[in-house]
Amino acid sequence: MKSIQRTGVIRDYDMHSASVRAGYGLILALCVLLVIVAVFPLIWVVLAGFKDLKEFVSSTSLLPEKYDISMFTTTWNQLGIAKNYLNSLISVVGSVVCALVFNGLLGYGIGILRPKGYGVVKKMVMFSLLMPTTISIVPLFMNIQNLGMGNSFLPLWLSFGANAMYIILFVQFFESLPMSIIEAGRIDGCSQLQTFFRIVLPLSKPICAVISIFAVNAAWSDFLLPYLVLRGGDKQTVMVRLFVFSTEQTVNADNMMRSVVFSMIPPIILFFIFQKQLTENAVSVGIKG
Amino acid sequence: MRAQPKASRARTAETFKSWLIMLPGLILMCFFVWEPLFESIRMSLYKTRNVELVRFVGLDNFISVVTKDDFLQALQNTFSYTFWSLLIGFFLPIVMAILIGETTKGKGFFRTAAYLPNMLPGLAVIILWSAFFSGEKSGVLNILLSGLGIPRQTYLTRAEWVIPIIILIATWKGAGATTLIYMAGMAGVSAELYEAAAIDGATVWQRIIHILLPAVRKLAGTLLILQIISVFQIMYEPMVLTKGGPDNASLSLMQLMWQYAFGGSMNYGKASAVAVIVTLILLLMTAVYSYFNRKESDWD
Repeated sequence: MKSIQRTGVIRDYDMHSASVRAGYGLILALCVLLVIVAVFPLIWVVLAGFKDLKEFVSSTSLLPEKYDISMFTTTWNQLGIAKNYLNSLISVVGSVVCALVFNGLLGYGIGILRPKGYGVVKKMVMFSLLMPTTISIVPLFMNIQNLGMGNSFLPLWLSFGANAMYIILFVQFFESLPMSIIEAGRIDGCSQLQTFFRIVLPLSKPICAVISIFAVNAAWSDFLLPYLVLRGGDKQTVMVRLFVFSTEQTVNADNMMRSVVFSMIPPIILFFIFQKQLTENAVSVGIKG
Repeated sequence: MRAQPKASRARTAETFKSWLIMLPGLILMCFFVWEPLFESIRMSLYKTRNVELVRFVGLDNFISVVTKDDFLQALQNTFSYTFWSLLIGFFLPIVMAILIGETTKGKGFFRTAAYLPNMLPGLAVIILWSAFFSGEKSGVLNILLSGLGIPRQTYLTRAEWVIPIIILIATWKGAGATTLIYMAGMAGVSAELYEAAAIDGATVWQRIIHILLPAVRKLAGTLLILQIISVFQIMYEPMVLTKGGPDNASLSLMQLMWQYAFGGSMNYGKASAVAVIVTLILLLMTAVYSYFNRKESDWD
């Protein structure tokens, strides 16, 4: 008999008992139900996107009458979503660069250089993890206004350079690196900055990849600060646009559903490419939220 | 003798350069995280006009905010959010982790599927679910339930239903990530422990109660406090789904803060007063939790 590797509470020999077998069947059924609950809303919203307004508000069928992709392209063109996609792309790229460079350098200082007094910084970063984030959005917005950075991507990019979670992830990774390699570089005459770019960074590809993936998704989905900074201007991202739609109710329900589909496409693509990295590292990143 | 000061000067230079490398990150942390925290405390004590502080008014903002009816309603609602979130959102990931953890074939697939909603933009999720709970006959839940013969309901206009519904949506989005954290914790339990218990005659159920659950108790405590901190800040979900309605029944404290600041009146002082109150409540709850948590570990 082919033995299956069981890692859970139920052991192989338990399966001889009929009641455990029945229980295991129930577990599988519940897991399948779980998958359906997780995926069904996504399938539904795509199907709903094929309905026109009249059908969307009156039809009592989950399936659309016809599958015409021009429903999506018309909405895309009418609402000018391409421009928002471009803005989101600019916002995401800058955010990821800032997330890697600024958090990485600060993490390098805390994790490897450890100059006199670094412990205070480490404690303050840890403390920021526990502080509620939305609380400071009002004074932060005022600061941005006072510096004349309204309707600009700059504050949004830079906000990703101040992420306590990413700093901690960098510190934890750097602390696990073999110090001997880093010291060898120092003896060879590399400056601290050269050591970072020539030795530490090439060794840190895994953590950089993980932080990039999460930062891409966070930057794409972010809308509260982007809304305050970019509203009314020509730099609105997809999420800002969607938020404006939902608060001002300027678009019809059917166009709204298609916009929801548009906003979900990049994260879903990201998910399917990087599902392994995402599910494996959700533990360290997810502990915050 | 002369090498000594030279070496120490070199060390000082090293320290200086190290701080220089950390400086950009530190400036950003100050600007985006630390300074706004203190600034919100300061602003809550001032009368503000647009982005200017006009004059120091002591606790006036707090008094004016707290004595309005909508504050008490929002406070009560926020605790109600927390209650429902613990009832629905706290236990579900533990159950999901146990279920998925017991599967053999397809475990990776179940994990991935459970995590998928977590990747979706929160705003899009709320709008998507608003169509599910729509009170029209074309609302998805109404379509599904009409198959069971249940008549059309208007879900989001019922004061007693809105908060549980919003928590259900938040749980749909967030439970998968928490499940993965529990699964990682549960994977740390050695299979030999289960084997030994089984030899002693422990049933599967007893093994879950006496081995698996105690193993993740500490983790559950941490996640509980993180969940409370996060749900206490609930804001955009009711803002988008119900606008705080019906009749303020889903208005949250942070939403009240947003309304003061960006809802037209631009009263940043009062908005900061609400933010400070929320922070104080959270700090208090964290302190109470760690006090009891310490007591508990003393008994162990």
